[in-house]
Amino acid sequence: MRRVGLIGGMIALAATAWPAESFLDRVDEALTGAWLQNKVHVRLSGALDLEGYRSTLPAPGLVLADGRDLFNPRLSLFFDAQYGAHVYAFVGARADHGFDPDTGRAQVRLDEYALRLTPWAGRRAGVQLGKFSTVVGNWMPRHGSWDNPFVTAPLPYENLTGIWDDAAVRTGRVLLAWAGVRPRPVRGGVLQDKRRSVPIVWGPSYASGAAIFGGVGKFDAAFEVKNAALSSRPEQWDVAQVQWQHPTYSGRIGYRPDARWNIGFSASTGCYLQAAAAATLPGGTRLDDFRETVLAHDIGFAWHRVQVWAEVYRARFAIPRVGPADTTAYYLETKVKFSPRWFGALRWNQQFFSTVRDLDGTQVRWGREVARFDAAVGHRFTPQVQAKLQCSWQHEDAEQHAGRRQISAQLTTRF
Amino acid sequence: MISSRLLFFAALALALTAPAGAEAVLTGRVVLPKPTAAPVRSQRYEIVTKGGAVATNPPLAVVYLEGVFPPAATPPRAQLAQKDLTFVPSLLPVRAGTMVEFPNQDDTYHNIFSFSPAKRFDLGRYRAEERPVPTQRFDTPGLVTLRCDIHEHMRALILVLDTPHFVLSEPDGRYRLGGLPAGRYLLKVWIDSKTTRERPVELTDGATLTVDFP
Repeated sequence: MRRVGLIGGMIALAATAWPAESFLDRVDEALTGAWLQNKVHVRLSGALDLEGYRSTLPAPGLVLADGRDLFNPRLSLFFDAQYGAHVYAFVGARADHGFDPDTGRAQVRLDEYALRLTPWAGRRAGVQLGKFSTVVGNWMPRHGSWDNPFVTAPLPYENLTGIWDDAAVRTGRVLLAWAGVRPRPVRGGVLQDKRRSVPIVWGPSYASGAAIFGGVGKFDAAFEVKNAALSSRPEQWDVAQVQWQHPTYSGRIGYRPDARWNIGFSASTGCYLQAAAAATLPGGTRLDDFRETVLAHDIGFAWHRVQVWAEVYRARFAIPRVGPADTTAYYLETKVKFSPRWFGALRWNQQFFSTVRDLDGTQVRWGREVARFDAAVGHRFTPQVQAKLQCSWQHEDAEQHAGRRQISAQLTTRF
Repeated sequence: MISSRLLFFAALALALTAPAGAEAVLTGRVVLPKPTAAPVRSQRYEIVTKGGAVATNPPLAVVYLEGVFPPAATPPRAQLAQKDLTFVPSLLPVRAGTMVEFPNQDDTYHNIFSFSPAKRFDLGRYRAEERPVPTQRFDTPGLVTLRCDIHEHMRALILVLDTPHFVLSEPDGRYRLGGLPAGRYLLKVWIDSKTTRERPVELTDGATLTVDFP
């Protein structure tokens, strides 16, 4: 508790002593430039996040804490460049203790980079190459710490299932054990299991590949070919680690009747197992035989000070020696601005699992069904400094993890 | 004799047709700072886009006369639009008490807000076709920085002044401030949030005074 108090105190102190709006505006101007007779415009920007988590053990989602408390600082740097009207490029790098909140050693990563060509003037169409967030769903535009009204991601993007991506299960019983369904997991093993498990979509899924996109009237569409499935972990997104031997195909078709509504349908299919799992596959099968197939529907609505988002994901994992295992996750999220400085957000998340056959022949759900309620409040000290406090209550249909709570705080300074 | 009579009547006619207390005019030139680079619009997580650079806004100055002037009979009105994901104009001088409309002329949402002490507000998200057009009254003199919560690169300034006599300079720095009452005043030029220059001026009816701000 003292550590959480210390983190809270640091955040409060930092917020009150933080640089003034005009200073950060001058920094912004200094980091913006133009060359070649104003044809090339570049901007260096970034964000400093100070995050603190306090969770009942084991910590939910992708918070990889071995204790109750975790302090997670992160520095993000972005480089945006525009050449004329048709070429746009960006790079995003982060320095932290891991892509997800973790206790690991400090590291610097090149998380995102892409080149986008929009060859037709005035038309929403083009191609993008690089390592960039998936086109699936509607959470990506607000996954950054400044735009996300919460500290954590919605359930489909962070709730770890019983699927391991580095080995194939030997029986349905093993899958149930990995999922913590039966037998119940021991506390010490949960964190190790979390480091091998995957969710439906791993955060923004910055996998490497190419996308084509276009828009006509109220419709738009984007399709991508990437080197890793939606569920794959951040290490698999890098083209230096995984090439395109097992490509993942994803797409989204969107409909915007007007500025208030944004409705989309997405689909994706890709091999979710790492190359390391090949040695554990049944004879005569290949990695490509075991795919994650996702169908998703998203809807967004915004009007004055209210924003509402909802998504439902249906994922099927083809599991060696077990067969198809389905899971469905959805969330409903809303953000309300109370005043220029204060906002609040609520989110209801649930995830369900289909059944698989156990050794005794009974049909058993292959995951612990989860219901989670998130509530957050945020305050903007200046247009560049923001603090958020989130409380989460999670219920699982397993005795040991019946009720989990997590308090998360985040102070973001962008420049 | 005839010519002197003609001159007398001509002078009389001129005196009768000229308004009593003809207004003074101030002209001059302000040396403006170098243009800053146009902002880059972040499109990292919005893949279906048209592309294109954001327009460059040249530096401009606001020249205004400081003094004691009668209040406006009705609240003045002004407009600051959002078009092509930029504010038009990017710098708007207004008299204290002015009602400023913020029409959205894009086919996407904008969310204009300000944290400035002179005026703190948040209009929320609104579309082009929404009526009434969002409006705010600016009562307190000072500088108000406007931003869009959706489009990070968008920025504009409203300079709220306690005078009805102000003008925006041309991009080359030239200005002309007409319709001024005679008297002694302080002529000020606002160049940016850190730079305001001033000169005392004495205006006489019908005269044009040239004041440069090097």
